[in-house]
Amino acid sequence: MDNISKEMCVVYGDCSLGLRGQGFSYLFSYGAGGMESLVKNGREWLYRPPKPTFWRALTDNDRGNGFHLRSGMWLAADQFIRCRGVRVTVDGVDRRQPDPRGNNRYHGTERAALAEICYTYETITVPAAAVEVSYRVEGDGRIRMNVHYCGREGLPGLPLFGLRFVLPTLAAGFTYEGLSGETYPDRMAGGIPGIYEVEGLPVTPYLVPQDCGVHMESRWVRIRPGAGMSNVTKGPLAPPCGKEDDFLEIGMEDAPFAFSCLPYTALELENALHQEELPPARRTVLCVLGAVRGLGGRDSWGTGPEPAYEIDAAGEIQFCFWIR
Amino acid sequence: MEADIRWLDDPRVFRVNQIPAHSDHGFYEDEESFAAGKFTLRQCLDGEWQFCFSVNAGSRPAEFYREDYDRSGWDSIPVPMHIEMAGYDKIHYINVMYPWEGHMFRRPACTIEGTWPEQDTGAAAWAGDGSFSQAAYNPVGSYVRIFDLDPALCGKPVRICFEGAEQAMYLWLNGEFIGYAEDSFTPSEFDLTPYIREQGNVLAVEVHKRSSAAYLEDQDFFRFFGIFRSVYLYARPALHVEDLWARPRLLGDYVSGSLELELELSGWGKAAMALCEETPGHGYQVKITLQDGEGSLRWQGQLPAARRIHMEPAAVGEVIPWDNRRPYLYRLLITLLDEEGRILELVPYDIGFRRIEIVDRVMRLNGRRLIFNGVNRHEWSAKGGRVISRQDMEYDIRIFTENHINAVRTSHYPNQIPWYYLCDSHGIYMISETNLETHGSWQKPGGDEPSWNVPGSFPAWREAVLDRARTHFETFKNHPAILMWSLGNESYAGDNLAAMHAFFKEKDPDRLVHYEGVVHNRAYEDQISDVESRMYEWPEKIAEYLSEHPKKPFILCEYMHDMGNSLGGMRSYMELLDRFDMYQGGFIWDYVDQAIEVEDPVTGRRVLRYGGDFDDRPSDYEFSGNGLLFADRTPKPALQEVKYYYGQYQ
Repeated sequence: MDNISKEMCVVYGDCSLGLRGQGFSYLFSYGAGGMESLVKNGREWLYRPPKPTFWRALTDNDRGNGFHLRSGMWLAADQFIRCRGVRVTVDGVDRRQPDPRGNNRYHGTERAALAEICYTYETITVPAAAVEVSYRVEGDGRIRMNVHYCGREGLPGLPLFGLRFVLPTLAAGFTYEGLSGETYPDRMAGGIPGIYEVEGLPVTPYLVPQDCGVHMESRWVRIRPGAGMSNVTKGPLAPPCGKEDDFLEIGMEDAPFAFSCLPYTALELENALHQEELPPARRTVLCVLGAVRGLGGRDSWGTGPEPAYEIDAAGEIQFCFWIR
Repeated sequence: MEADIRWLDDPRVFRVNQIPAHSDHGFYEDEESFAAGKFTLRQCLDGEWQFCFSVNAGSRPAEFYREDYDRSGWDSIPVPMHIEMAGYDKIHYINVMYPWEGHMFRRPACTIEGTWPEQDTGAAAWAGDGSFSQAAYNPVGSYVRIFDLDPALCGKPVRICFEGAEQAMYLWLNGEFIGYAEDSFTPSEFDLTPYIREQGNVLAVEVHKRSSAAYLEDQDFFRFFGIFRSVYLYARPALHVEDLWARPRLLGDYVSGSLELELELSGWGKAAMALCEETPGHGYQVKITLQDGEGSLRWQGQLPAARRIHMEPAAVGEVIPWDNRRPYLYRLLITLLDEEGRILELVPYDIGFRRIEIVDRVMRLNGRRLIFNGVNRHEWSAKGGRVISRQDMEYDIRIFTENHINAVRTSHYPNQIPWYYLCDSHGIYMISETNLETHGSWQKPGGDEPSWNVPGSFPAWREAVLDRARTHFETFKNHPAILMWSLGNESYAGDNLAAMHAFFKEKDPDRLVHYEGVVHNRAYEDQISDVESRMYEWPEKIAEYLSEHPKKPFILCEYMHDMGNSLGGMRSYMELLDRFDMYQGGFIWDYVDQAIEVEDPVTGRRVLRYGGDFDDRPSDYEFSGNGLLFADRTPKPALQEVKYYYGQYQ
C-alpha cells in the first residue's frame, strides 16, 4: 500500500502531460509554455502558467535613479517571453515524443514515482538570456521547483528575478514564516523572525503605487483561498471550502526564499499614479523571487542602492523551492 | 497710523506695532486657576469667522474693517484653516521653485542692480514696485470676527495673539488700524487696549497670500495662506511676567546645577507705578521657587518687583540631568505678589538641567557623546494640512518613543508651542529651526547660482531675517529640549545668515547653532554653524571628511530620503557611529508624508492626493511624500528598520 500511494498516474496526452494522484491533479502544457493546471484537493490554483518575472513596478528611488532608462528592456521581458522547449523525464526516462503518434503506445494505466518537466525560455532582451524552469513532481504530489536564469553579458541590471504565479481569484490571505513586515535585501535588519498571518492581499499604499510587499528570508508561505472561479457550487465536484488542507504552500528547499503575494502584476502597479487607479483586485499574483534589487534610499533623485544590492544580469541566478 | 499696502512689497517692513516677542510661558491669576490648569485670562477666538476672498489686493474690499461696512453676502470660514482647504484657492505643492515660477517674473527687491533705491527714503520709495501689492494674482482673505469680551478680561489691558497667520497680515479693531505682521510660523501679538470695548468688537484681519516674505518662506511643502493656528485674546494681571529667561545649567562636574534668571515685568494701574525705578520700597515682590520632580523644594528666593530682574546664577546643589533616557524636569514657579502679599500672578515653567558642549570636537550632552537618532518633521495632517491637533502631536511622540527616535528637527519653521513642551517632557532632542528657506533663490538648473540669493548679504533683507531669529529665540528659549538653534534651511550663506548666527551666539552661548547651507559657501565656514551639517551625503564621503582632521563634528540634518518604498542601506550610516566619534547621527527625511485626503469622485473612496492633483503647476508631484508614516499617520513598513537601528544606538 505504502509503495502504491507514492506512485501517481501519468497521462501522456498529445498536448499536455497529466499527473494525478492522492489529492492532486496537474497538467503540464506543451503549447502554453508551462504548468497549466494545479489542482489540490479539488481546487484549481492556476489561472495562467507560471512564467519567469523580471520587473518590479518602479520605486520612487528607481525612478529618481533613472534605473528604468537603463534597464527598461526587462519590463518588456517580463511581459513577453518565448518558450523554447519542454523536456519530460518520467522515472528517469526521457518521455517527450517529437511526434504525437508515439503516444499511441500508452494505455492510460501508466504510473510513476517521479516526473520531471523542464521548460526552457528565452527572453526578448537584446541579447537574449535563457531561463530554465523545472518541475520535479513526486508521487505524493509534491513539486520541487528549480528556477535558473543563465546569465548573459551585455544586459542591463535586473530589478528582480523570480517565478510569477497568477492564481485564479483573490486569496483570502496568507501565512508565512519569515521576517515581519515588508523587507528588502538592504532593508531587513529590522524584520523580526516569526510566523505571520496576513489578512487579504494588502498593497502598501505608497502615494504612487510601486513595488511593495516583498518578504525576504522566508521558510514557507501558505496561501488561503478566496472564492474560486469554478461554476460548480453543488454536489461532490464542488471545490472544497474551509477544509483544513485547502491551501497552497510554497516551502524552502535548501535556503530561505523571498516572495510577494499581491493582487496585481508589476505592470498593473506601474500603470497607476494613485492607489485608487489600480483595477479592482481580482487575482492573486504570487512571485517567488530568487533575486531582488535593493531599495536604496540615500536620496530619491539619483543615487540607487549600494552596489552589493544591485543584480548583475551577466551572472547566474538559481533557486529552488517546494510546492506542497 | 494707517496701513500701507506697499508693505507687502518692502522687505524692510515685516512687523508694525507688534508686541516684542517673549517667552511662551503660561500664567495664572490665582492658585485656583493654577491648580485647575485654566488660563482664565485667555479668550479663544477660534471658530467661524466672516470671510471674503479676493484674487488680488486691487479687488479686495479695502474698507472692510470699518464697523459700518456692509458685509452681508460674505461667507464664513473656520479659524484655524488654510484658505485653500476651504475651497477658495488652488492647493499647490512645489519644492524648490518659487510658486509663481513661469507665471510671473519676479526678483526680490533690493538685490540685483536696478532694484536698489537711490537712497533709503522709506516705504514711499517702493510705490512703483508693486511686485505683490499690484500682482494680478495674489489672493487676499478678509476676515471679520465680532465678539464681546469675556467678563474675566473686562477692565484689563487686552492683547491678541495670532499663533500662525500665513503669510502677511493686517489687523484692525473697531475701525482702527492695529498692526501688521509677517513670519507665518511664530506668534504675532498686538495690544488692543486703546480700542477694545466690552461688547460688539469688530476685529478685522486681512491676510495676503504672498509678500516679500514669500522669498524667505520657500519651504518644500504645500503652499497655503490664511489663519492656520489659533487666535486668542489675553488680559494681563496687574503685575505680569512679560518675559522669562530661565537658564538652568549643569556645571562642569556634571552633578551640580545652577540657575540664572532674567525676568521682565509689566504692570498696570497701581502696580505699574511700582515698577518705576523712582518708587523703591513699593512692597511688590517676586517669589521664585524651584521644586524637583517629586515636589521637594530645591531653591527659593524673593526679590522686590522691578521692570527688569537679573538673578545671577544661584547654586541649587546636586541635580538630575535632563536627557532622552531620563527627561527629568524641575518646576520653576514665579509668583508675583502685591504689597500685602496677595498673589497677582503665578508663572510655572518646567525646566531641565543639562549641558550641551563641544569637547575635543565632539558634541557632548551632560558629558556623554551625543547621538542624534533623529527625524525631520513637518507639521502635517492629511485632513487639515498644517492645521494639526494636540492629539496628532501626542501620537507623534508615541511613535518617536516606540521607535527609539530621540531627536527632531522642526523642518523648516518653528512648530506649535505644545510640541516643544511635549519634547521637553519626553526627552526628545530638538534642532529648532528658524522660519527661513530660500532655495529657489540659488538652487537653479545646472547648479548653485546665487546672484539674487536672499537673504544673502543684502542690507534690506537683514532685519527681516534677524527678526525671525529673534522671535524664534525669544519664544522658545526656555525649552530644555532645544539643544541647537537652526538658522533655517537651504538658504545659502552670506552676511545676513552670519548675523543670525551671531545673534543666537550672543543671546544664548549655552546652546549650539546649526546651519547646513554654509557648506555651499565655505567662505563663511568659521562664522556660521558649530557643526558640519550636510544632507544626503554618502557614507563614503562622510568617512572621508572625518578622516581628514575636520574642524567641526558632523551631523546629517537630512538623510535616508524615505520617498515611497525606500530606506534601504541604513546600515552604512549607522556604522559610521562606531567608526567616528565626530559622526553624531542624523535626521531622517522625513517623519510623515505630505498628502491631502479627498473624496475620489470616481470611486467615492477617501484617497490621498499629492502635488499636481489640484491642477497646480508647476509642481513636484509625489515628492511631497517622503515620510516614515503615510499621510494618514499609519506607519510605513520602513519604520521597523528605523526602530531596529535607532534601538542599537541609544
